[in-house]
Amino acid sequence: MSGTFANFLIPLQIGARDMASPFMNMLSYWFFFIASIVMLSSLFVETGPFSGGWTAYPPLSALHDASPGSKTGMDLWIISMALFVVSSLLGGLNYITTILNMRTKGMSMTRLPLTIWALFFTAVLGVLSFPVLLSGLILLIFDRNFGTSFYLSDIYVNGVGALSNEGGSAILYQHLFWFLGHPEVYIILLPAMGMVSEIISVNSRKPIFGYMAMLGSLFAIAILAFLVWAHHMFVTGLNPFLGSVFVLLTLLIAIPSGIKVFNWLTTLWRGNIRFTPGMLFAIGFVSLFISGGLTGIWLGNAALDIYLHDSYFVVAHFHIVMGVASMFGMFAGVYHWFPKMYGRYLNNSLGYIHFWITLAGAYLIFWPMHYQGLAGMPRRYFDFSIWESFKQFAELNRFISTVAMIVFATQILFLINFFYSIFKGRKVTVLNPWESNTLEWTTPINPGHGNWPGEIPEVHRWPYDYGKDGHDFITQTTPVGEDESGTH
Amino acid sequence: MSHSHNADANHEASNAAAMAEIKKVTILLSVLTVIELILGFWMIGISSAALRLAIKGVIVILMMAKAFYIVAYFMHLKHEVKNMIMTIIVPLSLFIWFIAAFLWDGSSFRNLRNTYNPYFKEQAGIKVEKKEAEHGAATHGAAKHEAVKHEAGATEAKETPAEKH
Amino acid sequence: MSTTTTASPNEAKLWGGGKSPFNLEYGKVMMWYFLMSDAFTFGAFLISYGTVRFSTNGWPDSNEVFRSFPFAPEGVHAPLVFVSIMTFILIVSSVTMVLAVHAGHNMDKKGVVRNMILTIIGGIAFLSCQAWEWNHLFHEGAWWGSNPFLNADGTASSTNFTNFFFTITGFHGFHVFSGVVINIIMLIMTLMDKFEQRGHYLMIEKAGLYWHFVDLVWVFVFTIFYLL
Repeated sequence: MSGTFANFLIPLQIGARDMASPFMNMLSYWFFFIASIVMLSSLFVETGPFSGGWTAYPPLSALHDASPGSKTGMDLWIISMALFVVSSLLGGLNYITTILNMRTKGMSMTRLPLTIWALFFTAVLGVLSFPVLLSGLILLIFDRNFGTSFYLSDIYVNGVGALSNEGGSAILYQHLFWFLGHPEVYIILLPAMGMVSEIISVNSRKPIFGYMAMLGSLFAIAILAFLVWAHHMFVTGLNPFLGSVFVLLTLLIAIPSGIKVFNWLTTLWRGNIRFTPGMLFAIGFVSLFISGGLTGIWLGNAALDIYLHDSYFVVAHFHIVMGVASMFGMFAGVYHWFPKMYGRYLNNSLGYIHFWITLAGAYLIFWPMHYQGLAGMPRRYFDFSIWESFKQFAELNRFISTVAMIVFATQILFLINFFYSIFKGRKVTVLNPWESNTLEWTTPINPGHGNWPGEIPEVHRWPYDYGKDGHDFITQTTPVGEDESGTH
Repeated sequence: MSHSHNADANHEASNAAAMAEIKKVTILLSVLTVIELILGFWMIGISSAALRLAIKGVIVILMMAKAFYIVAYFMHLKHEVKNMIMTIIVPLSLFIWFIAAFLWDGSSFRNLRNTYNPYFKEQAGIKVEKKEAEHGAATHGAAKHEAVKHEAGATEAKETPAEKH
Repeated sequence: MSTTTTASPNEAKLWGGGKSPFNLEYGKVMMWYFLMSDAFTFGAFLISYGTVRFSTNGWPDSNEVFRSFPFAPEGVHAPLVFVSIMTFILIVSSVTMVLAVHAGHNMDKKGVVRNMILTIIGGIAFLSCQAWEWNHLFHEGAWWGSNPFLNADGTASSTNFTNFFFTITGFHGFHVFSGVVINIIMLIMTLMDKFEQRGHYLMIEKAGLYWHFVDLVWVFVFTIFYLL
């Protein structure tokens, strides 16, 4: 998501002909492509793909004989991930330098649309956190193939040490992994936050409430993302006192998140809201972010987490806040910028159906899961029906599965809408269909190579002058008038 | 790059200043390294754990000083725009908690293992006996005893687990 | 922010466009952030080393391990001497790199070429030293997964000492190697007058940044493995 929207929106919204280094972009793309091929090829090796869960904890991942999936499939997994790290590094460097260096005249950092700021912090998070995963994976490769024991402490079979090399620490891998893993959550979420800020402001015809506060909270989230990784590890044998420090740091995230939520709500407050599908998805994002974020405060407490960990409560929490919410952000972005992408509109009626079923479905799927988790149902079980204590959830599980299938079918509807509209959608006839202030709507409907045919427009104000001095909107390219009230 | 457009006199002056700075930093780095080495040599003879720890602390501070001089002057960061400096310093400050939390949990893991893993604890108490090496080819001269210990360690380390069980 | 910043005078101060806010060309900014990223790779390695060392009861004494010297008579032990030579080689090569960058500022092609050659020689010398040390340790029985050395207190040591030593110095050596390759490419480009034609020696500066970073990492590796 960061990849597509960043490459699409950054040059358009900051007023640049292209990314700073198209070559790096291409490299990044091909590294990603190769990584995907390597990953998928592990499906076809004799012992099957890696089977140790997405976190690839040792010893399951470090020992060849741990399971069939720990053989060649695991090596391919590591190589693929390493290539992916390179790809995201190249991409991230490109985004950062483009945003810093390629802005058009007048586009100071504090006049950037929040989308760009969010993409900027996303790139920073990626550039700083992925290398740590890379180190962790290199050590893992050595453990697997060169007889080292970075992550292997000791294993006993019948009182006899079963490993030829030992003395390492399995928790070390988890630390390294989650040092990436937690920022990664925000890498997924931040672009959605940025796009939602932009879309909410445009469609409620009001300036974004607290632009600097939004910036500050983005920055705070970016910093905190690096300080809280061990809250994923409360039950792994982590030092309990250290855990309590992580509880404190984790709960601090609620502050910038709260600032963002209230800013979105106050932007909506008494706005002249246009309920386009994009806007609906943006509001849906805010709703899901609140519901999912609140349970995060529960889970951030080690005392509660020890009870709730690895239950359906956790599944519901992170799927709502990080999975569905960022999907909503992405949908919002697609509906909003589709006219720019293809010069045609998406079908609105299908968009409304898509939104309402997905929103209702998301809650119908994940609310019951919270209940199940509190009642003690663990995740990652192959078959629940063998346990007497979990049988009572069978009905509820069936319900969740049914809703999930309906929601999935609705996404197919969206895909149909998407591809149909590329070719047959209603044509865009005006330059600025959403009456938005940002630069991307000053390009021709079908921008050619280099985005703007003539000069790149100059920027004279921030992007959120909506409903100001009696004007519905004032684009960024409009020079500041004589008797205008305070400008950004 | 902008230097080449400056007026000649200006250019000469800044040139000389830059050269002086390079010289100064080179000397500083060498001095710091020499001090580190002296401390390192001094530490060989010291057995007091507290004093060793203090010396190690000093060495770490000297290391940070060296790093500062390399980044600030050789990599020219000191002369960049302030915002540029901040974009480097702020992410680097993440290392503080990165290091603290990891090392903290590392030592916690040792305590846990020493408490709950009798095998781990036991191993830390077993000294490898210093027996004469069978193939003492590399052992001559004054430090013979030392070398033998290492030769023995090579074979012994591999044998220990087998012996124990 | 929201104060009245009216029209043109402040506009120019704010952001003129078409230049970098840091007065740096984009490639250099990119190099800086790449190095940041790389710093986190090395940081993660060194911190992992620290974590494992903190979670282990004993650790070998580096002065007992790294005490040999090429061509020294058998039995003569000189802890720290060899590695200090390596350190000085790298510092000196870093200085010559600065001089090359400086010469580039002045469009002094001769100076660039001379100092680049010196830097490359320094890099190769460092790599040779490292190769010798690895070879020596290998013949003492140290390698990934095998550690002939005892802990300082005479107990059996875990293999993680050698594991980390070879992994981290290997990773650093790989960086030195790629730095030498980059420097050689830069030298060839200088000799082909590429930079004279472009009118600036920015590429040399970027290579310089990378080379200094390699030196910087060695400062940490050297201290952590050989002194602490």
